[in-house]
Amino acid sequence: MVSAGQASEQGQPAALPRILPPFLRPARHGLPPLLLVLPSLLLATAIVVYPFFVIVRLSLSNVSPFGQLRGFVGWANYAAVLADPIFYGALWRTLIWTAAVVGGTVLISMPVALVLQQEFYGRAIARIVIMLPWALSLAMAAILWEWSFNADYGMINGVLRNLGLSSGAIHWMARADTAFPVEIGVGILVSIPFTATIFQGGLSSMPTEIYEAARVDGASGVQQFRYLTLPLLKPFIQIAIVLNVIYVFNSFPIIWVMTHGGPDNSTHILVTYAYELAFGLGRPGPAAAISVLMLAIVLAFTMVYLHLQREPT
Amino acid sequence: MKRKLRRSVVCWLVLSPLIVLVLFPYAVMVFTALKPTSEVMSYPPRWLPRHWSFASFPAMWEQADLGTAIMNSVVISCGSVCLALCVAVPAAYAVARLQFRLKPRYRLFLLVTQMLPPVLLILGLFRTAAAIPFGDGSLVNTRLGVILIYGAFQIAFSVWMLSAYFTAIPRDIEEAAWIDGCGRVRAVWHIFLPLAVPAIAVCALVAFVAGWNEYVVALTMLRDRDKQTVTLQVVNLVAGRYSVEWNQVMAATSVATLPVAVVFAALQRFLVKGLTLGAVK
Repeated sequence: MVSAGQASEQGQPAALPRILPPFLRPARHGLPPLLLVLPSLLLATAIVVYPFFVIVRLSLSNVSPFGQLRGFVGWANYAAVLADPIFYGALWRTLIWTAAVVGGTVLISMPVALVLQQEFYGRAIARIVIMLPWALSLAMAAILWEWSFNADYGMINGVLRNLGLSSGAIHWMARADTAFPVEIGVGILVSIPFTATIFQGGLSSMPTEIYEAARVDGASGVQQFRYLTLPLLKPFIQIAIVLNVIYVFNSFPIIWVMTHGGPDNSTHILVTYAYELAFGLGRPGPAAAISVLMLAIVLAFTMVYLHLQREPT
Repeated sequence: MKRKLRRSVVCWLVLSPLIVLVLFPYAVMVFTALKPTSEVMSYPPRWLPRHWSFASFPAMWEQADLGTAIMNSVVISCGSVCLALCVAVPAAYAVARLQFRLKPRYRLFLLVTQMLPPVLLILGLFRTAAAIPFGDGSLVNTRLGVILIYGAFQIAFSVWMLSAYFTAIPRDIEEAAWIDGCGRVRAVWHIFLPLAVPAIAVCALVAFVAGWNEYVVALTMLRDRDKQTVTLQVVNLVAGRYSVEWNQVMAATSVATLPVAVVFAALQRFLVKGLTLGAVK
């Protein structure tokens, strides 16, 4: 913060800044920074932070199916959630879903980013095609894949038949042990553009000289990747993992549109189950409790992960 | 020259499985949309229609009331872009150019809001909107309510990306203007903002696409058909229907996604550049 005396040099009345609290005092040239930040702060507080407290309060209240609060019940909603077998199924599936989608995305995005960093004919086109899923709404992607995986008329079964890999009509969406992996695959596919972009950013920020030095010293391509690229890319991999975990953990449309958590609740993850409880089954209290638990899980993950990553260095 | 050719072949081979998977649903979408109803449900399925037909387009346009839906999507997306930019541009300028004591805290606050996605807060958002009186009822089932929510959830990303861009704009140009007697506010308006237009445009694009594609908030907030967005209307053609007219659904999906995909493809280079700048910071 700059003193009021300097502000007066710019034709500001010197007395005014001195009586203002420090955070509203004009900076050097007459624009109080907090005044610039204030609208975003207010809007985010009203629409992101306040609803969060509403949810915490709901999770501790007895809520009627129509949403009236009927008094404080302490941990009853949490207890109800923890006694619900569907919750544990959804929790377990959420962990698999998050680990599989984020893991698969990072593993595929890495070579993709490395290849896109090379100079080759048609690179611009390849980049555009690989970025395309980013422009597609998750709900739309889910619809397109749902139709592609249609048992009788879908092109996936059609292609498999033409390749001689299957004879009958596989009912992909009718059973959890095929539907859930399909959903994971779709999740990976739509997460690749963002992740590959982060990796490309990391790769393009790397100094080229060290690679030349490594080549002069006779390092093979694999060695260069293992001992130069991977360590230098580490911060970008970390960012990609943390951001993807937050996004994927909370990813709603793919599972909601493709299977609606069914058949028989066997593809629900926490976020779809909470939504079903809140708006389908009329149990807002337990739904709010699940939302709070989910936030706690994400927060715990982020803290532990960032902490673990900081240790070795 | 020959080496580059060989490398190109290898690169395309490595990428080909992914490229096939990316293009697969688009191909299914376009070809299904161009099939007449009788061919959609024919066994075994074929890629190309036997008879090319555009009949599914006018049919779904009626079915999904797509004209109204597109209008709603445009209004909601544009509204949320304006809102997000109005609050994010000044904030990003402050973060990039000015020193203030609470800056680290402000950044942390933005980060925390990023960890609270709309779907996690949806019950709270719904109740908050229901508690705010607007017109005859509340903010639930209004486009304004959705605009406010979309705008607010774009703030963190917009400030992050814009401030990265703004830091890259050389300070000297503005400082030269001050020396010439231009006040700080005028310097920002006449010198800084014109230079920042590309960054703001990219940011607007991201926010627009996010609003256009959003599903959960629209699903929860918009009850009346005449207020629903394109994404919602198209999903409604499938969700909970006993028999789905897939060629109409695919025609609607084409109309809803292809324009966005084209704009996105044209501008993705800038997007990658912007994210790269942001990631390096």
